[in-house]
Amino acid sequence: MTLILKLKKKLSAPVSAECISPDTFAGKQESEIAGLTLWEGNRKRQLSEIFEVEGISGSSPSETTIHIKGDLSKTRRIGAGMTEGRIVIQGNGGMHIGEEMKGGTILVEGNAGSWLGSAMKGGVIEVKRNAGDYIGGAHRGSTKGMRGGVIIVHGNAGSEAGSHMRKGLIKIFGDADQFAGIYMKDGTIVVHGNSRGRLGAFMTSGKIVVCGKAESVLPTFSIDKINRKTKIHGDEIAGPFYVFVGDLAEHGNGKLYLSQTENEHLKSVELFL
Amino acid sequence: MNVIRNVTCPICGTLCDDLEVTVKDNVIVDAANTCAISDAKFMNYSNPKHRNLTPLVRKNGELRETSLEEAIKKSAEILVDASYPILYGWSCTSCEAISAGVELAEEIGGVIDNTSTVCHGPSILSIQNVGIPTSTLGQIRHRADLIIYWASDPYSAHPRHMERYTAFSNGRFQKSEWAHYVARLRGILGKKRLSRASELVLMKEAELPVVSGGKLPPKFETDKRKLIVVDVRKTRSAELADFFIQVEPNKDFELIQALRLLVRDEEVETDQVAGVPVSLLEDVADTMIGCDFGVLFFGVGLTMSSGKLQNIDAAIALTRDLNYRTKFVIMPMRGHFNVAGANIVSTWQTGYPFAVDFSQGYPRYNPGETSAVDILSRDEADASLIVASDPVSNFPRRAVENLVKNPLIAIDPVVSPTTAMADVVLPSAFVGIEEGGTAYRMDRVPLPMKKLVDPPQNCLSDREILQRILHHVKRLRAQRGIA
Ligand code: SF4
Repeated sequence: MTLILKLKKKLSAPVSAECISPDTFAGKQESEIAGLTLWEGNRKRQLSEIFEVEGISGSSPSETTIHIKGDLSKTRRIGAGMTEGRIVIQGNGGMHIGEEMKGGTILVEGNAGSWLGSAMKGGVIEVKRNAGDYIGGAHRGSTKGMRGGVIIVHGNAGSEAGSHMRKGLIKIFGDADQFAGIYMKDGTIVVHGNSRGRLGAFMTSGKIVVCGKAESVLPTFSIDKINRKTKIHGDEIAGPFYVFVGDLAEHGNGKLYLSQTENEHLKSVELFL
Repeated sequence: MNVIRNVTCPICGTLCDDLEVTVKDNVIVDAANTCAISDAKFMNYSNPKHRNLTPLVRKNGELRETSLEEAIKKSAEILVDASYPILYGWSCTSCEAISAGVELAEEIGGVIDNTSTVCHGPSILSIQNVGIPTSTLGQIRHRADLIIYWASDPYSAHPRHMERYTAFSNGRFQKSEWAHYVARLRGILGKKRLSRASELVLMKEAELPVVSGGKLPPKFETDKRKLIVVDVRKTRSAELADFFIQVEPNKDFELIQALRLLVRDEEVETDQVAGVPVSLLEDVADTMIGCDFGVLFFGVGLTMSSGKLQNIDAAIALTRDLNYRTKFVIMPMRGHFNVAGANIVSTWQTGYPFAVDFSQGYPRYNPGETSAVDILSRDEADASLIVASDPVSNFPRRAVENLVKNPLIAIDPVVSPTTAMADVVLPSAFVGIEEGGTAYRMDRVPLPMKKLVDPPQNCLSDREILQRILHHVKRLRAQRGIA
């Protein structure tokens, strides 16, 4: 069952929209959904003051699909904590999409803001274009990042992707900014494009694969070997890869796989093998 | 004539509290124990050219004089109408005023953020991430035998910091190296004169012997107080230091991480890190481990260069690692005199040190989302109140454009680009000169600020202005039936 929300106006102040989730919508009439409250800046609004509501929701979250149309870059926390069902954002999404989500799927057809899927435990988030900083990260001051699920970004990702990550998979098909996998404890990050460096700072375990060029490797990583290929959740990625271990400043045992052919500037490390 | 002793200086985070100010007929005629910055302030603060002396309100595009009551009413209306207002500044006022500001922010459902968002905000995030081993400046003065200034130039920005608390101060267990530094300063001046003369006579620069970069000089073996400066360029403080380490710009993170490895007796595989030879770093690590009480002061050069809070995470982790081997502390060099107080008051009243969002009625905090620069850059705020700060001259351009296109209220004793662009200007009294209060030093020691002279007519204290705005806000909200 599909429910369609259409943005009525251009937003300016941030709109806190955690009520937009299959878990909240399931089993509700159209009028009940239109009457849900959310915050626009410091004003309380009804959902129907900001969105046109149309369609029917399913009787359970898993049968509910929500389509949202318009530029939602000012919204926050769409799909936060959802357990089942599906959300499709037809436009740009805002910050904290799918924060702490436990299951279900979210598809963003435009760009997504920062803290995409932060502290998520399960489910799948896919972004067709670029994503902001801290995807799959932790709340401020917390050390619990993503603990399961999958995030796929077809464009570029901002800095600190997968910070404090503990489990799960982040796939970035474009480039990743600095500090991907910072404080990572486990899980996997794959960057098909280039990385702006400082990969895996303070990481203690987990795996980061970069198929493109990595601008630099931190001095606290040590070359371990060269591998012909690597496996990510059953899928094989062809190498060859330099394999670094670190972060040694944290007694870490994380693995950094950097493409050998794309990283000529790292050739000197082969002396240490 | 009246000499007031033990005056606390209302300028930088060093918060010197030993100034002596002479007042005659409500005018400051002399100030002793000052540095160049504070001297200029005490002698010139009252210059009417630089002061806001009457309340102003913008009408038909022009700022017009008005009554205080009118300006306060107008401010209250702006704030009550706004759906996402920002209250920003707070580092150059008293804790009492900041506390009134927090109350106002809660009442109007606004975002209250202080200037640490553009200076030491990353340090605070880092402290939340990894904690901070620190001490008071008094302990450092009496005990520290290794002083490191990293990406900070106290000679220019905190002129009496070295004299009062570090290299030049005479502590109980650590003697001043003053004579030693004066000799060094003479040497530097001599060298400069020599090269200037040679430029004039020989039309080329004199060739001066260069200190070799790969090792620390042998005199480092002595048990005297040592001063090391790490920076991207040779600052005035670096010229005074026993040793200066020049790091490539934006490579501090790599350098600190490499030092962490060396401090743990592990090896660094490359020959140099961030442009510094590893052999030298090994010596520096040995010096750090070998000291009895070391201190690392870091400045905005570290918090605002590439890496930001990760640089501080690494620096704090280095200090933590060093504490397995010796005693080491770390401290941010806070800029404005009460920026530490802004964090402390905000934390004690809301639970969070800066970037606190009250829009949903309770405090929320997420720098990057709820910090003033980010909110303004994304054009989310629809009104702002600025207290004792000048964001128009130091925020990024996009943020400034969005700041000035919406209603803007400025409370400030002095004329600034922000007050010139504001819609309401409320003149206030200088805290620490015309108004008393409390401020926190960079090591979080609270000190009383003194009232030395009376403020000009029409200039109330920040606190009183804020309380009056709050009073009007409450009345307006009651009239409009807003809960
Ligand atoms: S060092 Fe700072 S606090 Fe001390 S007198 Fe100078 S400006 Fe004032």
